Amino acid sequence: MKSTDPFPPLSTAAAVELSGVVKVYREGESERVVLRDVDLTVTPGEIVVLLGRSGSGKSTLLNLISGIDLPNSGVVRVEGVDVAALSDTERTRFRRRRIGFIFQFFNLIPTLTVEENLRLPLELNGIDGAMGRRHAVDVLTAVGLGDRVASFPDRLSGGEQQRVAVARALVHDPALVLADEPTGNLDAESARQVLGLLANLARGAGRTVIAASHSEEVAALADRVLTLADGRLVPSR
Amino acid sequence: MLWRSSARHLAAHPWQVGLSILGIALGVAVVVAVDLANESARRAFTGFAETLAGRATHRIVGGPSGVPEELYAGLRRAGIRGMAPVVERDVSLTGRGGRTFHLFGVDPFAEAPFRTLVTSDATTAVPLDTLLTRPGAALLAEATAARLGLRRGDTFSILVGARRQRVELAGVLTPSDTLSARSIESLLVTDIATAQELTGAVGRLSHVDLIVPRGAQGEALLDRVRAALPAAAEIVPASSSARALEELSRGFSVNLTALSLLALFVGVFLIYNTMSFSVIQRRPLIGALRALGVTRGEMWLVIMTEALVLGALATAVGLPAGIVLGGGLLRLVTRTINDLYVVVAVTELVVPPTTLLAGAALGIGGTLVAALAPALESTRSTPRAALGRSTLETRTRAAVPRLAWCGVGLLIAGALVLALPGRSLAVSYGGLFTILLGAALLTPAATVAAVWALQPLAGAAFGVLGRMATRGVVAALSRTAVVMAALMIAVAASVGVGVMIDSFRASVVRWLESALQADVYVSSPSLVTSRAEATLDPGLVARVREAPGVAAVGTQRTVRVQSPSVTIQLIVLAVAPRGYRALTLKEGDTKTVWATFADGGGVLVSEPFAYHRRLRSGDRVRLRTDAGEHDFPIVGIVRDYGSSEGVVMMGRGTYERFWSDRSLSALGVYAADPGAVDALVDTLRGVAGSEQEVLIRSNRALREASLEVFDRTFAVTTVLRLLSMVVAFVGVLSALMAQTLERAREIGVLRALGLTPLQVWKLTTSQTGLMGLVAGVLALPVGSVLALVLIFVINRRSFGWTLELELTPAIFVQALALAVGAAVLAAVYPAWRMSTSELPSALREE
Repeated sequence: MKSTDPFPPLSTAAAVELSGVVKVYREGESERVVLRDVDLTVTPGEIVVLLGRSGSGKSTLLNLISGIDLPNSGVVRVEGVDVAALSDTERTRFRRRRIGFIFQFFNLIPTLTVEENLRLPLELNGIDGAMGRRHAVDVLTAVGLGDRVASFPDRLSGGEQQRVAVARALVHDPALVLADEPTGNLDAESARQVLGLLANLARGAGRTVIAASHSEEVAALADRVLTLADGRLVPSR
Repeated sequence: MLWRSSARHLAAHPWQVGLSILGIALGVAVVVAVDLANESARRAFTGFAETLAGRATHRIVGGPSGVPEELYAGLRRAGIRGMAPVVERDVSLTGRGGRTFHLFGVDPFAEAPFRTLVTSDATTAVPLDTLLTRPGAALLAEATAARLGLRRGDTFSILVGARRQRVELAGVLTPSDTLSARSIESLLVTDIATAQELTGAVGRLSHVDLIVPRGAQGEALLDRVRAALPAAAEIVPASSSARALEELSRGFSVNLTALSLLALFVGVFLIYNTMSFSVIQRRPLIGALRALGVTRGEMWLVIMTEALVLGALATAVGLPAGIVLGGGLLRLVTRTINDLYVVVAVTELVVPPTTLLAGAALGIGGTLVAALAPALESTRSTPRAALGRSTLETRTRAAVPRLAWCGVGLLIAGALVLALPGRSLAVSYGGLFTILLGAALLTPAATVAAVWALQPLAGAAFGVLGRMATRGVVAALSRTAVVMAALMIAVAASVGVGVMIDSFRASVVRWLESALQADVYVSSPSLVTSRAEATLDPGLVARVREAPGVAAVGTQRTVRVQSPSVTIQLIVLAVAPRGYRALTLKEGDTKTVWATFADGGGVLVSEPFAYHRRLRSGDRVRLRTDAGEHDFPIVGIVRDYGSSEGVVMMGRGTYERFWSDRSLSALGVYAADPGAVDALVDTLRGVAGSEQEVLIRSNRALREASLEVFDRTFAVTTVLRLLSMVVAFVGVLSALMAQTLERAREIGVLRALGLTPLQVWKLTTSQTGLMGLVAGVLALPVGSVLALVLIFVINRRSFGWTLELELTPAIFVQALALAVGAAVLAAVYPAWRMSTSELPSALREE
């Protein structure tokens, strides 16, 4: 792995810290307030699940944490870094180094093999060649797909694709994993497998996970469950 | 609801729809423009010829110096009526841009049955006595006189051959309708005696027009006239000269039309691309609609109606654009016709409804034909299959070998069609387009092979992103194949036409190098470059021969003679000893040919002449001499690019035995000191003086002037070549935009994974650049085949010339740069949009 890190973690910092975050979308003439004055602190290694109805703002919250979107007001800090204060390119570099993503629809790159899908984030972080290949295969083996490295995503079942997505989210050793409805498109059995993997791999490495979901099964993995309703975060347990 | 969904889909993709309309519109515009330009030039020419011929059915024509005036007088004395003498010649105004006019001298008293130019209807304002009695009195069309700022009584100068003459505007011609107005706008009408004086042909007539009634009475009249004719004269149908010239420029028109069809061919490909894309994009929607119970027929109707709307809109834009473009092309076409065939003023674009209807049929029909396959594809899918994108790509990849075999079949079929004996240009172009279609069908297979070969390289150089860029081309083959085929065809056309022009030019350059052996050329200015028939003053010829620094003089006389009932060009040469190198023999016995040619009665014919008349060395060509018709043996066929109609060459000695004409059109002067050519040019200019307009040019200057004419001739071809590229570029832009925008979600994921906007930009442009590169590389062999067909089949069948293939590396490099450049350029906007798009919305895209 690269020895120089442009975004060294602050040992005392929370993994994620949101304070007074407001997000408003304009829809024609009207405005829709999605997040109202949201405060949240997630400690390193914690697994947090966000529950809420469709359209309640779960994905928006994840986008704000990853720097994909910016708040209208308030501050979002990830490992002590004020995400909004970074330029677009800096945010992209921060995301590629620090954050792993898992999407509801897997979003694997169809033109890359399973192994290459994992090597993409590694290469973006400067790890390529034999070392990257070995690491990718190791992680794929860890998710039970060591025999599918050369397959293209369209040859895999939904559950397998999401396991590749989990592997891709973790392969570059990010401090924070964001999962948006990770089991939303899977059958019950595949969902269980994926969640088991995510919990084991994340907890084993002490990673922070924030997952948005409808699923009580996902919530069962969490150290803390929060519910988004009317743009505000309320603790569920 | 179905229609509403369709309309909203189109409205939601304004750029894609707009660019598709633009692509089709440009294709339609090019075809319409070429047709209008050709048709306007043709109508102007025929209108002009008909105005001059009037109601004449026949004409009496003579040799190089025309018909003796006494013949006309004798026929009249013999009681033959229904005749009108004519003296005509192309002249140009001195000053006022050197505008050309057709000097037309007539006998006002004999004119009434033939033309209305100088009869009471048209010339109420013309006092005939002025026209008949005032020296240099002439009439111009009212509009022309107004444009030139001339009033009755004003005098102006004209150049008749090498001589400058004064003319007085005696009155104006006021035509009764616009058609007549167009036909007479470049006429300069005089009394016959005035025309004879102006042209220096006193006692001679250009021809005598006849009105011969049909039936036995007419035949009897013709027999009577024939019996009175001298050996040098004959009777020909009045329409024959117009027909002959129309026939001559037919090859030129057909080739222009074919080039415009090439632009449409690319356009239709792009329409197919657009419609396929539109269907592919909506596969999930179509699947859903089919699942909801929409029938195949209803789905087909929706897609075809969309195509109809697009085609109609594009045609509505293309037709007026074609009219505007046609105006521009008309100037280029007219210039070429004037350079090569005949001086005719074409100032007005004629817009026949048939051309517009044909353009509309091509635009709408082409769109519907191109949409047929995608529409059928949309209806063939089962509701479930229509939902899956991978199903389509799998099916497309599975079809690649089948398409490739079809392509190979078409290539063979095209080659067989071209190998068929015969001279039909339509069949030749049919073969050519079949080959192009075959090459287009081979594009997907070639793309798969190229990507397979390039992938390791791209991977080694750019890692996973490099592999993504290469694989993306094949992964979306259903989208990329058509756009690459279209780009390949456009670039191949550019290579083919480019190599053909280069080969033609190189052949002409080599021919000029050998044909122009003399150091300095002296000639009269000619209005039609390929028909230098004006004569030099005999005094000047003598002075040039005796001028200091002159070692030898070769002479040339260019005349038009009858080769039974058809006028042909005869070049009479007195070749200086060094001058024989100027003639490159293609056929004939080199040991005997020159002696037979110089004085032994044999003639040489140029390649086009031999080709058009299917003549070989040893055959005979019949010419009407002053002593009657005579068969001259062809002793050789020579290379000559000076005239597409072809020429007969004859030694001066032979000519003087059969014709009484002793004039000369040009001199080739050999310098005593080849190092002092410039000084010799100055000396000869001094010798020529200023009384006669004479062109005195060094070998190099004449070569440059000849190549200038060549380049002018191909200007219109170059314009069409560029237009084809513009059509292709618009298509590529439209396809790449649609394709890139369709990948919004994938790009969003890549951005979420940490790709910077710059990396996204590089990824997108490198992928399209790769598509351009593959299309460009494929275009090189296809373009070369196209060039071979154009050079060795089409050109030969159009004109009979043998051209040497000239492969200039620059053309191939340019083609590659063009293909890659167009593809990368077309990706700039979509790539920029992708790299700067709102990430959250990109991730939400489905």
